[in-house]
Amino acid sequence: MELKKVGAAGTYESSDIYVTLFPNEGNGIEILLKSSVEKQFGTQIRKVIRETLEKLGVKDAKVQAEDTGALDCIIRARVETAAHRAAEITENFNWEELDKWTN
Amino acid sequence: MDKLRRTMMFVPGNNAGMLKDAHIYGADSLMFDLEDSVSIHEKDTARFLVYNAIKSVDYEGTEIVVRINGMDTCGKEDIEAVIRAGVDVIRLPKTETAADVVEVDEAMTEVEKKIGKEVGSTLMMAAIEGPLGAINALSIATASKRLMGIALGAEDYVRSMKTNRTPGGVELLAARSAIVMAARAAGIYALDTVFSNVDDEEGLRRETQLIKDLGFDGKSVINPRQIAVVNSIFNPTEKQIDDALKIMKAIKEAEAKGSGVIALNGKMIDKPVVARAERVIEIAKASGLYREEV
Amino acid sequence: MDFAHFEEIIIDTSDKSEIKEVVKFLDSQNLLLDKNVDKTVIFKDGKNIAATGSICGKSLRSIAVSPFYQGGGVINRLITKLIEIEYQNDNHHIFIFTKPQAKESFSYFGFNEIASSESAVLMEKGLPDISDYQKNLKKSFVDGKVISSIVMNCNPFTLGHLYLIEKTSKESDIVHIFIVEEDKSTFPSDIRLHLVKEGTKHLKNVYIHKGGDYIISSATFPSYFIKDADALVASHALIDIDLFGKYIAPSLKITKRYAGNEPYCKVTSIYNDVMERILPEHGIEFIKVDRKEIKGDIISASKVRALIKEGKINEAEKYLPESTWTFLNSNEAKAIIEKIKETISRH
Repeated sequence: MELKKVGAAGTYESSDIYVTLFPNEGNGIEILLKSSVEKQFGTQIRKVIRETLEKLGVKDAKVQAEDTGALDCIIRARVETAAHRAAEITENFNWEELDKWTN
Repeated sequence: MDKLRRTMMFVPGNNAGMLKDAHIYGADSLMFDLEDSVSIHEKDTARFLVYNAIKSVDYEGTEIVVRINGMDTCGKEDIEAVIRAGVDVIRLPKTETAADVVEVDEAMTEVEKKIGKEVGSTLMMAAIEGPLGAINALSIATASKRLMGIALGAEDYVRSMKTNRTPGGVELLAARSAIVMAARAAGIYALDTVFSNVDDEEGLRRETQLIKDLGFDGKSVINPRQIAVVNSIFNPTEKQIDDALKIMKAIKEAEAKGSGVIALNGKMIDKPVVARAERVIEIAKASGLYREEV
Repeated sequence: MDFAHFEEIIIDTSDKSEIKEVVKFLDSQNLLLDKNVDKTVIFKDGKNIAATGSICGKSLRSIAVSPFYQGGGVINRLITKLIEIEYQNDNHHIFIFTKPQAKESFSYFGFNEIASSESAVLMEKGLPDISDYQKNLKKSFVDGKVISSIVMNCNPFTLGHLYLIEKTSKESDIVHIFIVEEDKSTFPSDIRLHLVKEGTKHLKNVYIHKGGDYIISSATFPSYFIKDADALVASHALIDIDLFGKYIAPSLKITKRYAGNEPYCKVTSIYNDVMERILPEHGIEFIKVDRKEIKGDIISASKVRALIKEGKINEAEKYLPESTWTFLNSNEAKAIIEKIKETISRH
């Protein structure tokens, strides 16, 4: 999946995460995270963001994420949405593929 | 009909905080909404959120219902996502005819086949939100084997009827009657609409009593504070449980004697009375008010 | 879990009755509704305003939460909504001016501090950010002993501007000129830039840049674009010059900044005073040059616009370099001239 434009998803409400993905041609995945639980969960949040992008086949992205204590499944959902939006995929989502690695 | 569906709590599909722990408040079912509470720009993210939440969050056995968008918009996408996620029930909004139900049923079958899930294992409920749906209640209620119930959605209904919600609820009487009769005739659940003023506990109590008396099985709620009120009205009282137990005991005694006539305190007990007693005990068991001695 | 329900209303300035209510609400918290806002978001709990915030181009403005709802999640919802509107307008680089004590809360919304004064902090979020801007600027670095700079609006480019540039050019090895990019001026920024480029072709050590978001833009210096200046000006000027000293000058190794003396405009004159005070702290010399006069008559762009407005465009010729005069007589200028005749703005 290739990011064609900026894509974002999420809210600043509690237990959520706001994810903005910027195209980052040729520069890999760079994550800038702000979190109220940075100390305890920063590493885990970054890992979930990175893994989700990798599974979606996103190779290059600048990620800006502001977390208010989101569960892993919420992080995945917001990253998935932001990536699809950035790749301009608005229908016929590949659920079969998503289904393989979400549990 | 042994499952309790006294309360179905409404959870906006784009609200991460509510999706995370909505089950802790004790509602019998949770309804994650992808339709009216989600703006057109957020449909995709709410769908991803609900999909991931159902897959990952342990709702401790609480029944999960998802209200999908209409088939004219992104309903098909919603169906695929939530069946893959393992939803218990799909709620179809604004149901007008049996054909609406069949269309969703077929889309559900397609997804179940595709992913190797038993066809028909995902249930469905239809919300009736307009006069045409209310008139077609029986054909809707019998349109699919998946249907576990039909529900009333009052906001759109009163608008279509060119009236308003009133404290007495007379504006909904015809629709409620049509729905509860159709549900009973079809052998499925009848579920009532939300009570939107969360601060008016007395009003909620009155309305819940009314729909219980009409024959409904449960009601939608929009706030955790409403759950206990609605559950308590649907729960049988101690005296009702006692009476029902006495009736069941009398039945057993009659069976032991080989007698066809069941009597209690010198009065004969007929079939509907037995059925009602059985129902009271079912609810008492399901709600934890009565535990069968072993 | 937050179950409070608010009605969300999004309005623009044409909605007078709602705006009146917002102004009253902000006033109760000693805040002003920014005059240039594009859209205002209001959260209402039944009758009363629970929170409000506005957007103005790339900036979030006039944000306030009713005391009753402070400490809850209302501000989070409000910022979500404001960012959503910015994103929908394809603005992915967003600024906010806030009080120093609110800095930390905004950092959780992804904002980073880029400049500050005692009373205000300028924060930004998204991309391209200040470090991207610096990276880009460094590409224009040209070595020299004396590297000077001028920030100009040139609305339009006059002989006065040309005089200042020529003087700076003579006294420096390299001159970087930043043309204010904000399109709130009568002459569009690309035309202003073009006229300066054309009119300074003969000066080989002069480099012309777009001012971008970080030099006197409505994000870094909002009060510059508000018609009646107030006490905010000095505070905003401090921020703008802090940015210049911290990020822009070092990228190009600028050691001098030139500016014309300002006899008419109060805002520009305050700005000059602040430069005089602050720039030396950043190791930059500030040089104020007296305005060019023609027989005791000071040249200024506002005079030129005034003459255009009065239909005396020919009298403006004596103040203008060839590039501007040719442009004013072209077809392209007709619409701008019409616009000037209808209204007049300060810069």
